[in-house]
Amino acid sequence: MRNGKRWAAAASLLVTLAATGCSSAGGDGKVTLSYATWSDDQKPAMEAIAKAFEDKHPNIDVQVQVLPWPEYWSTLQVGAAGRTAPDAFWMLADQFPAYATGNQLLNITDAVKAAGVDLAAYPKAVLDLYDVDGKLFGLPKDFDTNGIWFNKALFDKAGVAYPNDSWTWDDARAAARKLTNPAAGVWGIAAPIDRQGGYYNSIYQAGGTVIGADGKAAVDSPEAISGLQFWTQMHADGLSPTLKQLSDTEAVQMFMDQKVAMYFSGSFWAQRLYGDQTLRPNVGVAPLPKAKQRATMISGILNAGYAGTKHPKELAEFLIFASGKDAAVIQAKSGAVLPAYQGAQQGWLDAMPEFNLKVFVDAVDYSVPLPIAGDAAKWTGLETQYLAPAWEGKRTAADAARAYNTAINEVLAQ
Amino acid sequence: MTDQFLRSRRLERAAAGSKASRHGEWVIHVVLAVSAVVMVAPFVWQLLTVFKSNREASQMPPTLLPEDPTTGAFATFFGSVPFWAQLTVSVSALVLRVIGQLAVAALAGYAFARLRFPGRKLLFGLFIVMLMVPSQLFLIGQFEIIRDLGMLDTIPALAIPGMFSAFGIFLMRQAFMSIPAGFEEAARLDGAGALRTFWYIMLPMVRPTMAALAVLTSLYSWNDLLWPLIVTPRGDRRPITVGLAGLQGQFGTDYPTLMAGAFVASLPLILIFLALQRQFFSGIASSGLKG
Amino acid sequence: MTTNIPNPPLRQRKRRRGGLLPSPGWGYLMIAPALIGLVALYVWPFLTTFGKSFMDVPAFGPGTFTGVDNYTELLGDGRFWQALRNSALYTAILLLGLPVAIVLAALIEQVGRGRAFYRILFFLPVVTLPVAISMVWRFIYNGDFGLLNYVLSMVGVPGQYWVADATFTIYAVGAVGIWMNLGINLIILGAGLQSIPQDLYEASSLDGAGRVRQFFRITLPLLSPSVFLVTVLTVISALQMFDLIFVMLRSVNNTALADSKTIVYLFYEKAFVEFDQGYGAAIAIVLLMVIMAATLVQFRLQRRWVFYD
Repeated sequence: MRNGKRWAAAASLLVTLAATGCSSAGGDGKVTLSYATWSDDQKPAMEAIAKAFEDKHPNIDVQVQVLPWPEYWSTLQVGAAGRTAPDAFWMLADQFPAYATGNQLLNITDAVKAAGVDLAAYPKAVLDLYDVDGKLFGLPKDFDTNGIWFNKALFDKAGVAYPNDSWTWDDARAAARKLTNPAAGVWGIAAPIDRQGGYYNSIYQAGGTVIGADGKAAVDSPEAISGLQFWTQMHADGLSPTLKQLSDTEAVQMFMDQKVAMYFSGSFWAQRLYGDQTLRPNVGVAPLPKAKQRATMISGILNAGYAGTKHPKELAEFLIFASGKDAAVIQAKSGAVLPAYQGAQQGWLDAMPEFNLKVFVDAVDYSVPLPIAGDAAKWTGLETQYLAPAWEGKRTAADAARAYNTAINEVLAQ
Repeated sequence: MTDQFLRSRRLERAAAGSKASRHGEWVIHVVLAVSAVVMVAPFVWQLLTVFKSNREASQMPPTLLPEDPTTGAFATFFGSVPFWAQLTVSVSALVLRVIGQLAVAALAGYAFARLRFPGRKLLFGLFIVMLMVPSQLFLIGQFEIIRDLGMLDTIPALAIPGMFSAFGIFLMRQAFMSIPAGFEEAARLDGAGALRTFWYIMLPMVRPTMAALAVLTSLYSWNDLLWPLIVTPRGDRRPITVGLAGLQGQFGTDYPTLMAGAFVASLPLILIFLALQRQFFSGIASSGLKG
Repeated sequence: MTTNIPNPPLRQRKRRRGGLLPSPGWGYLMIAPALIGLVALYVWPFLTTFGKSFMDVPAFGPGTFTGVDNYTELLGDGRFWQALRNSALYTAILLLGLPVAIVLAALIEQVGRGRAFYRILFFLPVVTLPVAISMVWRFIYNGDFGLLNYVLSMVGVPGQYWVADATFTIYAVGAVGIWMNLGINLIILGAGLQSIPQDLYEASSLDGAGRVRQFFRITLPLLSPSVFLVTVLTVISALQMFDLIFVMLRSVNNTALADSKTIVYLFYEKAFVEFDQGYGAAIAIVLLMVIMAATLVQFRLQRRWVFYD
């Protein structure tokens, strides 16, 4: 029947439509690995590393992808659940436990042993961040410590001596006070709610901890509270742009616009600050000020692999290479970040000789691993809600600390 | 069709226009012009900012015209966003979704309007109920189906859910219902089959509605953000909306670059709109549904 | 939906020519693509979402049945209620924009020359990417150097951190929402205005009625079906607002975001960022009930103010 055939044709129309564009992977024997990152600044270095790896392994093609930071983790998570995650990707310590315990990461312990990698080449504090019962789910790519980024021109103008390694909190406060010039729109310091570059450091400098030895939150200890007060007092004294201003314009941007004289933050800004020609001659680096003791957070990115990859063997090879010595040298030269691999750091210092970057390498000696416990991503997500009132002066630092402490413990108890 | 209606009304109005007092006309123009300025000011400000340096864009008081005009913002945008690749994705997804939506909606709309079969009312009711449900509610389930079909990171994954919008079916049904029965009867008496009647007689008569539906579907497809974000986890096949959203994470406060990106990414649809205004207006007017 | 009014003579004709209709098979075949899509991509996801809302679903791996735990947690979650309040406030702000749209639509209909020009200008935001719009407005709203604060300072009004201060965020975003949707509302209301018979105006002019009086006595009552439609659509879409918050408030360190989330933003965050899908599903189901209730109430209320001839 004529009509019958048309029926079938009509019915198949949609199927054809749906199938159009469904691409299938080519099978020319070449292995393709995807490598997800979130930093546009580091893209050239990552591509150079991929290229160096491809030169050694002509049958492997590594594709570097840069995902936007705000979407990086949701994208990775949906991808992992959807079995389409990138093969290799950057991992951070606070996200790591969920992936490791969820069996989403490729175990490369044996491959690392077989390749004869010396783990002593990596900072122990960073390795510890990613340790799960001695199993390796990747190798450190880089590390970062914190220091004072300061604007020499603004210091000179205010007649304030540059920060140095003898600085205490009082020195920092006094300098911030002298540097602040409301008429000129200049503030002494940027004081956002920033755990890694900000208040975690001051908590440890005061002798406190974020997570206590018992595995419970310790943000409400007197030491930790005084660490928070270091920052809330800056706001109370009007030495920092307000939280609202820092929400509209990020602290690093304020620093780059030469509106704040000091910004306590990580080594990872070096390349961006160095790249700004007007700003470059004005930038100085000094160690964080001390209180009871010296301290800085240390953290680092892990080159991790997806457990569901189609090419586990090649992936392990790539991960080892990307965190190895050759890759570290490439990274250091580009100035992108401080490579984790011991001995390659000098290249990073040499890449930006005008900056006194040695401060960040020396800081490893007094560094503390970024505190991680339980569902860290979840409780750090509550930080703004509980701490902002203290930063805005609506609540005392002690009250805010106690409330946040309770909230953290509730998450940890789940 | 509203379209024809618009035209006839305009003639009437032109005739009546001479009667309206000149004074009243002036007041109306002033009110509308002031509102129009408010409407357009953000676009003008955007275009002025594009040609400024970031320092100039973030100074107070602001400058009106760029002191030292530069096109650096465009260079930065094109240098950091794979614009052409993402544009290709946006356009491919749009074309696929429009074709699919038209096919699905025309067939079902015709069946619901002109054919009789048991369960017709019940099924149509089901479609209407789906119109009321917020689209976010389907996200998780749709994601899982696309994932289980192994279609993540493909163009069809972006386009398929939108093809089956109940709204399109509703719109086409209304259009078919307004066609007088005589045409169909004549065709059938000539011995034409159902499919032939549909294709050669009925479909050409609803062309304006199909154009309107195509325009509306394009609008929804082009603007979609949340769905593409979820079904393209690998990130190498994302439409321009996602690319633009990512720009903000990357250039947080580099306003000239953000403005340049916003401008370039919006331009294609604005140009299409200027070319097809009538379809856009009659599409919205006949649908009353917004995206 | 201006073509929505069924045509009675047509219905009678259809009944008469029943014998000429093709077999039911054609009907089923033609709706098959739509039906398959509907069931697979809408009905089934709805059912799974509904099911998940009674489960605890971890980031990776299967979920476990937990009864109404998600719902009880939801109802006791201050952040959920805040999100609901924010969505309701945003919806209310958008509804306040409707009178403006009605007046503007009436004015546009009054002008002879330049009508197309105004239509295009008012419609531009509709065809601009919502993401792009959000970026432009975030810049205008900047507390330190935004255009809005500058304009306000010229008339002596103190500036605010519009999208960085939770006191203002929803209002600021609401203003953008009104601005964005004005074009669509104008077109729908314009179509409604055009369907008002001109002779009514002519008759009342003979009676000596002025324009303002005509507007309230003729235009508004006869336009009420269109106004009702626009109201229903505004409420449904406003309760689902996501894009504006996502782009305007999601900078690295925006401390106002925590207090400015809308219900769909919260859903997105739970289901796709924190990957607490069970909780996300419960949010989605509650949102559906809110929208259905709001729509139902509006249909109930329409009898009191919508005028059908």
